Amino acid sequence: MNYRRHLLRTLHFLLCCHALPVLAHKASDSYLVLEVSGSEVKGQWDIALRDIDFALGLDADGNGEITWGELRARHADIADWALARLSVRRGGACQLRVADHLVDTHSDGAYAVLRLAGECPRADGELRLDYRLLFELDALHRGLLRLRFDGTAHAAVFAPDRAEQRFVAGQSSRLAQFGQYLVEGIWHIWIGFDHILFLLALLLPAVLVHEHGNWRGVRRFRDALREVLWVVTAFTVAHSITLSLAALGLVQLPSRLVESAIAASVVLAAANNLKPVVEGRRWLVAFAFGLIHGFGFASVLAELGLPRQALVLSLLGFNVGVEIGQLAIVAVFLPLAYRLRNTAFYRRGVFVGGSLATLAMATIWLLERAFDLKLIGT
Amino acid sequence: MPFHSLTCCARRRLLAVLLSIAAMPLAPPVDAAPRRPSDDAEVLERLPTRAGDASARELVALRAAMTAAAKDPAPAERLAQRYFDLAMARGDPRYVGYAEAVIARFPEPLPAGLLSIRGMLRQYRHDFIEALDDFAAALTLEPRLAEAHAWRAAIFLVQADYPAAQRECAALQALHKDILYGSCKGLAQAYTGRLEAGYRSLQKALASSLNADNRLWLLTRLGELAAWRGQAALAERHYREALSSGRDDGYLLAAWSDFLLDNGRPAEVVGQLADWESSDTLLLRLAEASALLQSPDATRLAQTLADRFAAARQRGDTTHRAEEARYALHLRKDPQEALRLAAENYAVQREPRDARILLEAAIAAGDPAAAQAARDWLHASGFEDQQLRELGRQSALAAVARQAASAAPR
Repeated sequence: MNYRRHLLRTLHFLLCCHALPVLAHKASDSYLVLEVSGSEVKGQWDIALRDIDFALGLDADGNGEITWGELRARHADIADWALARLSVRRGGACQLRVADHLVDTHSDGAYAVLRLAGECPRADGELRLDYRLLFELDALHRGLLRLRFDGTAHAAVFAPDRAEQRFVAGQSSRLAQFGQYLVEGIWHIWIGFDHILFLLALLLPAVLVHEHGNWRGVRRFRDALREVLWVVTAFTVAHSITLSLAALGLVQLPSRLVESAIAASVVLAAANNLKPVVEGRRWLVAFAFGLIHGFGFASVLAELGLPRQALVLSLLGFNVGVEIGQLAIVAVFLPLAYRLRNTAFYRRGVFVGGSLATLAMATIWLLERAFDLKLIGT
Repeated sequence: MPFHSLTCCARRRLLAVLLSIAAMPLAPPVDAAPRRPSDDAEVLERLPTRAGDASARELVALRAAMTAAAKDPAPAERLAQRYFDLAMARGDPRYVGYAEAVIARFPEPLPAGLLSIRGMLRQYRHDFIEALDDFAAALTLEPRLAEAHAWRAAIFLVQADYPAAQRECAALQALHKDILYGSCKGLAQAYTGRLEAGYRSLQKALASSLNADNRLWLLTRLGELAAWRGQAALAERHYREALSSGRDDGYLLAAWSDFLLDNGRPAEVVGQLADWESSDTLLLRLAEASALLQSPDATRLAQTLADRFAAARQRGDTTHRAEEARYALHLRKDPQEALRLAAENYAVQREPRDARILLEAAIAAGDPAAAQAARDWLHASGFEDQQLRELGRQSALAAVARQAASAAPR
């Protein structure tokens, strides 16, 4: 072989180009985005048309241009070629298929976009990815992975010497998941007006005592606190029970019934303030209706979706979140109510007025929900 | 819509927002918007070669030869070399990956020719130690492999290991590779405080060289040496002679552009590099010149460059830290980041330009101590570029002032 020809260029390339990497085009990358949730796999894989052409030959008419028609004609080949070079394993090989073929543009040209879908044999345990695309043709090719694995984000780069990578739904990810559902729980109690109104309706009288047909303020903060603790705890225990039963799929109630019953619970709690029927044992009311509210929370959780492998933990996180949200409301409400308990503003305005307003609002909800009406426009 | 379902929907919307925030890391890259073309005739991509091109035909023939003799290293060597040449000529790193894959098909121990090419590919990736090993192994198998000596000399010069580089130059002399020896010696002299002697060595090599590629390279380096010696008119003459050959050469254009930028002539850089945006190294110069001219295109060019660096970082590529440091210092005006990149680069590469960006970044960041390695090199090598020596002096003064300030009694 004629080295002579290259001798000076050798020096040339190194001494001039080493610090000036010639990356006019970038090296070959594919972009793999995977979402593995339980046994379900979804994803998107962007592979450069130039790379597919180098491996499979796409330019059917040899004019140096790849058209959509030329690409479309080879979709099946491309899917077979790519899927043979990507293995996803969770308790065995996951069956992957290309659900759709699209195109996109990245900084260095056009890419084929493969929408992936599949199922794994198991919904728990570690995830193994084995990526071999193009390595036998281009040793500088890299697979850039962004993975969401049971709710936790990972990033990785596949290279010929790092073709196989394992991902564990580890401690930190479980913790992150717990945290995520905890936040959802807090959030939900704050934006769920019916739950807050029910709770407040039960808490409004906590700083008062009903004696001889009249309300007076409690003497000691402790008395009010005890009452609040009983009510909140009973409500929490009750809704935790039904939330868990519903989330685990053990009990299911029609949502119209649940929503109507929740509205009814608010109506009754407010009415009880105006014309006391149940006294002293408000915690029993809280418990009984808490069972209903739990089904309401469950419908939200169903929207969120529970990861199967961390079901109990996520459920616990959501419950704890709801509880923290409630305690935050109590922490703001109780000192204020206690301070104002002997004022006419509290007794008439807040207690009676608030209960009346709550009653009115909840009655409208009840009618709407029970009869599927529209009483208040949007 | 019933009120309660309004609250439900509001709730759902909020949850959707929350979930989308949580799912953000999964969102595809910013530019991504997968679509389904409606027209079969829509051209999606233009390939670098057409099937009928001479180079495409040559590659097809080389690949066929390799496949036909799968165990024979000779055709594989020819194909890998051709890929490497293409990578350099077109500035397309995909060909480097193709060449590496060709070599990876062969079991160890590799024959001398493949070892040598693998060394080239490894130095491209800045795996200098492994590259030196490959060339050394190739020389063990084939002691007269001048190419391997030349590569080793070049790597040692980059690492600022001048005695080792000079040993390789001597080996080239012993093999009677005169032009190569002259180039090797000339650079070693230039980097060690003997610019004039280095200039004469390169000139002598140029006088006996007929090959156009070699002459272009020698003229470019002569231009650089003249500029280091403060002879701008002479430098410009060398650069212009090199440019007049009409050959595309990324390094020549980069050196010429740097010369123009150093001499306050950014408008000429813009004119020269207008069609070279595809090259990162030239895009840097173009963006710097446009920023100096406050041209309307400056922001877009800087952003394009930032995107390129981000893409390289994503795949774990650190081969262009020196350039990124320059971008951070001059375009993003972030001296701390520039200093970090320049220092990381200087741990790997120690050519004059690497020292320069380190000194500049350290002065701008107000952290002269960080450039100690570059000052040590200036001191030990005696490198004579006035501009660089001035930077070194400023940086040393700043370092002394710092020390004095911190040692001063309160």
